[in-house]
Amino acid sequence: MPEFLKRPFGYEPILTKGDLKKPAHKKGERPDNWKGVLLRIWKLVDEQRALLVTVLALVVVSSGLSILGPYLVGHIVDNYIVAGRFGGFGKMVAALLAVYFGLSVSMYLQSFWMIGISQQAVYKMRAGLFSHFQRLPVKFFDRRQHGELMSRMTNDIENVSQTLNNSFIQVFSSVLTLVGTVVVMLSLSPLLTLLTMTIIPVMFIAVRWVTRRTGRLYKAQQKAVGELNGMIEESVSGQRIVKAFSQEDRVMEEFIEKGENLRRTGFWALTYAGFIPKVMNLLNNGAFAIVAGVGGILALRGDGIVTIGTIVIFTEYARQFTRPLNDLANQFNTVLSAIAGAERVFAIMDEPEERDDAVEYGDLALRGEVEFHDVSFGYDPEKSGYQAKNISFRVRPGEAAAFVGATGAGKTTVMQLLARFYDANEGQILIDGIPITDLPRKTLRSQMAFVLQDPFLFEASVMENIRYGRLDATDEEVIRAAKEANAHDFIMKLDDGYEEVLSADGGEISQGQKQLLSIARALVADPVLLLLDEATSSIDTVTEMKIQEALERLMEGRTSFIIAHRLNTVRQADLIFVMQDGRLVESGPQQELIESRGLYYQMLKGDEIGGDEEE
Amino acid sequence: MKTVFSFALKYKWPIAIALVLMLVELGVELVQPLVIQRIIDDGILQGDSGTVWLWGGVMAGLAFAAFFSGVTNSYFAAHAAHSFGFDLRVALFKKIQSFTMSTFLRFPQSGLLTRMTSDITMVMNVLYMSLRIMLRAPLAAAGALIMSFIVNPKLALFLMIGVPFLVVFLVFMVRKGVALFGKVQRRLDRVNRVVQENLQAVRLVKAYLRGAYESSRFSKVADALRSDTVSAVRLMELVLPVLLFVMNASLLAVLWFGASQVRAGDAQVGEVVAIVNYALRMTGSFSMFSFIIVAYSRAKASADRMEEILLADGGSEEAERGSGEMPAGDLRFDHVSFKYEGSDKGVLHGVSFHVRPGEKLAIMGATGAGKSTLLNLIPRFFDPTEGRILIDGRDIAGWPLKDLRDAIGYVPQQSMLFTGSIHENLGWGDPEAGLDELEEAARKAQIHDSVERFPDQYGTRVGQKGVNLSGGQKQRLSIARALVRRPSILILDDSTSALDVKTEAALWEALEKERATMLVVTQKVATAAGADRVLLMDEGRVAGYGTHEELLGQSELYRNIVESQAQHEGEVDGDA
Repeated sequence: MPEFLKRPFGYEPILTKGDLKKPAHKKGERPDNWKGVLLRIWKLVDEQRALLVTVLALVVVSSGLSILGPYLVGHIVDNYIVAGRFGGFGKMVAALLAVYFGLSVSMYLQSFWMIGISQQAVYKMRAGLFSHFQRLPVKFFDRRQHGELMSRMTNDIENVSQTLNNSFIQVFSSVLTLVGTVVVMLSLSPLLTLLTMTIIPVMFIAVRWVTRRTGRLYKAQQKAVGELNGMIEESVSGQRIVKAFSQEDRVMEEFIEKGENLRRTGFWALTYAGFIPKVMNLLNNGAFAIVAGVGGILALRGDGIVTIGTIVIFTEYARQFTRPLNDLANQFNTVLSAIAGAERVFAIMDEPEERDDAVEYGDLALRGEVEFHDVSFGYDPEKSGYQAKNISFRVRPGEAAAFVGATGAGKTTVMQLLARFYDANEGQILIDGIPITDLPRKTLRSQMAFVLQDPFLFEASVMENIRYGRLDATDEEVIRAAKEANAHDFIMKLDDGYEEVLSADGGEISQGQKQLLSIARALVADPVLLLLDEATSSIDTVTEMKIQEALERLMEGRTSFIIAHRLNTVRQADLIFVMQDGRLVESGPQQELIESRGLYYQMLKGDEIGGDEEE
Repeated sequence: MKTVFSFALKYKWPIAIALVLMLVELGVELVQPLVIQRIIDDGILQGDSGTVWLWGGVMAGLAFAAFFSGVTNSYFAAHAAHSFGFDLRVALFKKIQSFTMSTFLRFPQSGLLTRMTSDITMVMNVLYMSLRIMLRAPLAAAGALIMSFIVNPKLALFLMIGVPFLVVFLVFMVRKGVALFGKVQRRLDRVNRVVQENLQAVRLVKAYLRGAYESSRFSKVADALRSDTVSAVRLMELVLPVLLFVMNASLLAVLWFGASQVRAGDAQVGEVVAIVNYALRMTGSFSMFSFIIVAYSRAKASADRMEEILLADGGSEEAERGSGEMPAGDLRFDHVSFKYEGSDKGVLHGVSFHVRPGEKLAIMGATGAGKSTLLNLIPRFFDPTEGRILIDGRDIAGWPLKDLRDAIGYVPQQSMLFTGSIHENLGWGDPEAGLDELEEAARKAQIHDSVERFPDQYGTRVGQKGVNLSGGQKQRLSIARALVRRPSILILDDSTSALDVKTEAALWEALEKERATMLVVTQKVATAAGADRVLLMDEGRVAGYGTHEELLGQSELYRNIVESQAQHEGEVDGDA
């Protein structure tokens, strides 16, 4: 094969012969399942069956009227204009006008309702995907790029949307026309009809040849879009770093690589999809040749099975016969691209949800006793080992426990296990003596507030951001919490105060202020269990002192878990847990730990040594 | 629209070839009926098999020529469309990369994402369709119209009666369509944004059990997208029925007046029939025509959105490289004031200070005092609204940006790592750095030992935003990444907050040996005391500047800070 055909415009081929022989799915991947995917889309559409039936009925009406129109025109020409008759001419014209009006109206109404149906289905799909996101375990998100998941919500679903808008009506009306044409053809000459039909197997093979490729290529294309989107999202979120390190070229390079990949898959998908109408055209001519050739021979035999007149009319119908087939074949491609998109959406929706089989303890009010019993956990134990090993401790209701230790010692991991972001691989976590896995997540989390290491604020007003802690909190409660968290003063200095809408990467709020808002959010929540993971790390010590009191009050009567490096935060704890390399190496009240002269004592001394140096 | 489609010019040859191929196909289609007529009239009807074979051969030849043209057109059209899309995408991305931070912040991130995917698809589709089918409809309509004028100009005029109305109607529809589809794309931006937020905040959402709340928040934006899509598409769906009805009404006019002209002897029956036939053919091409109108409106709306980026002015920076000479690291702020674009509140007010090469400046102050903003001015993420910043005595406003940024090692407050290996992430500091250099930087940043303990060591994959690392590990990798550059000026924006005391002490000790000028935002008096000078910020102003001892003497605010920390130290002592 010449180079140009193998690599047109330098595009490397994507599908090899081997690929096409193999089943479309790799080991462990979900098998190709067009029928299943279509059925799931259908289920979304079918929810509005009554409207759908109306649309289909209107398609029948408009198809009928679009045949009736030209027929009436012919009638008028033959019987009035040619015949020179004018009685009732006006009436006929009025009737025709009514037909045309009806045609336009029925056409509009079918699209009008179809858009409603399809967009409702698309909305359902989006909302379903989003809700499913909410039910997936944290672990799922650790492995995925945000932009890649976002692409499924936009680019993939858009594919489905475009197809649903048009294809439904198109497919149905094509089928109608096809059936009508075949009926007429059969009535004219069953023999010639059969002859015309001989192109169908060829057509079938051709369409199969194309769609076997486009099916895979569309999938590859959607994947490429997703990866590109993932890359863009990351580089856009990290724009500051890109600039700081002058890595524009490097980012550009990666972008071009991902973009090239999309161009390549897109090129092949579009090229192959473009073959279909061309093949259909050729077959169309083939059908004509068959009718004219074979029909001609039969006609010349003169036994009356086929007359010349029949051939003349028939060639016209044969052409009409291939047009809806052509439309159908084209729609097939569109549908395939929708399937490629939908499949990626359903793939996520098939990811197992966070299991929550616990039905007991639905509205149990927790006291806040927490016990870890020989708990071990690894994010990916086979690859990166355990981040927490054989942890055992007990915290009584109302006690405050502080975790200290070097970074990466497993402190945050313990917190995340307690919040059930992850489940322990071994051992048991008990809350009020109940295994945490028997406790519905709702029961647990509705009585827990977690101030995370990286404070996150939504693109919403300050008020709404704080209220996130408890949705039914009144404005007064929110403001009170903000005051306690020492956030009120700076909030009042914002242009719109509590109504100031925070932007995604805005400079109007500093990191420390974000932490203050996160604390206010936890204050509003009024939890039984309080988890503070370096909640004050970016707050200056003067401000921290000011909120210390609020924090102490917050911890009163609640079981609190605190991760901090600053000793003034730690010293308020009833119990101190010292972690090292995923193990709990020391635990007990501060006094005991100091007296035992262990690791904690060493750490304190380290701090003091630092202090000595400065003086 | 013009700017966007000027990107297609680069592919004028593939486009021209595709168009020619399409015309060949079209030509064959037009000639075919004549050939068929020959076969039937001269061949089959006459029983002349020679003629049948001859014209049959011609027909087969034409059919294969059309097929060949069509298939080849597929390649050229797909190539032109995807290359156009690719170039456009690259141009958009390049432009975004060139934005200054303030211009960059003007556009919501989610909107940038939509533009680079969904919007590009829209304009790409229009180009592809033009190369495949678009000309067909207008050409067919025009051809039919011309033919009817040749047959009988007077009657043909009746076909045109609706045209003025249609022109007005279509112009109106396109305008309205562009506006509505623009809105749809903006709704898509919102959907994108809510999803992005939700993904970024996944732990927060779970911790506060806000899944249902988030879903309802999402429902709102998704429903807005739905309803706006529905109204836009519904409006555009008017095009075809109206076009058809006007054309059909014109057809009726031809019939009506044709009949009276026939009666008056002004027209032949055959002429009327012919014009009616042409009119029917024209209506046949209308569905494609309305398809074009819709696609065009969508593309125009998307193109306009892209041009907002491509033509955004004033806010770009040339990341050029100059001599590449590293400065010694003498840094001076000279009455620097700053406010963010679009805000009338100043963040910094007349800040002046001076750090000599190799010195360490600690910056302290309450949260929101302007510490991070001040640091953001040094790599010129933003430019001061007033005053000057000088490095080695030269105003940084005049520096080639790459030179400036190459001289700076910046460690942000929130560590930001990228999907890829640790090796790749450290390589951001200096793409040419060898593994030994990366390891050395990692050792100084106190992260080497931890990395060595990972099963894949420097090959360990880091998830987006470094999710599988602890906060302290991320911070230390960020520091290592900056050290790889061997910067003249090292900026640490409170980047050791998640480090334990021991690790932090070791880190400072290692950094001591760096020859870089250091600017360190810190909350810890101990760190400040170890610095050559301390800059104390309060509400965007310098509240104190001097050595630790000097400030202890001069500044009450500073004494407050020291006390706030000495207090607990004292208690720890007491406990011990």
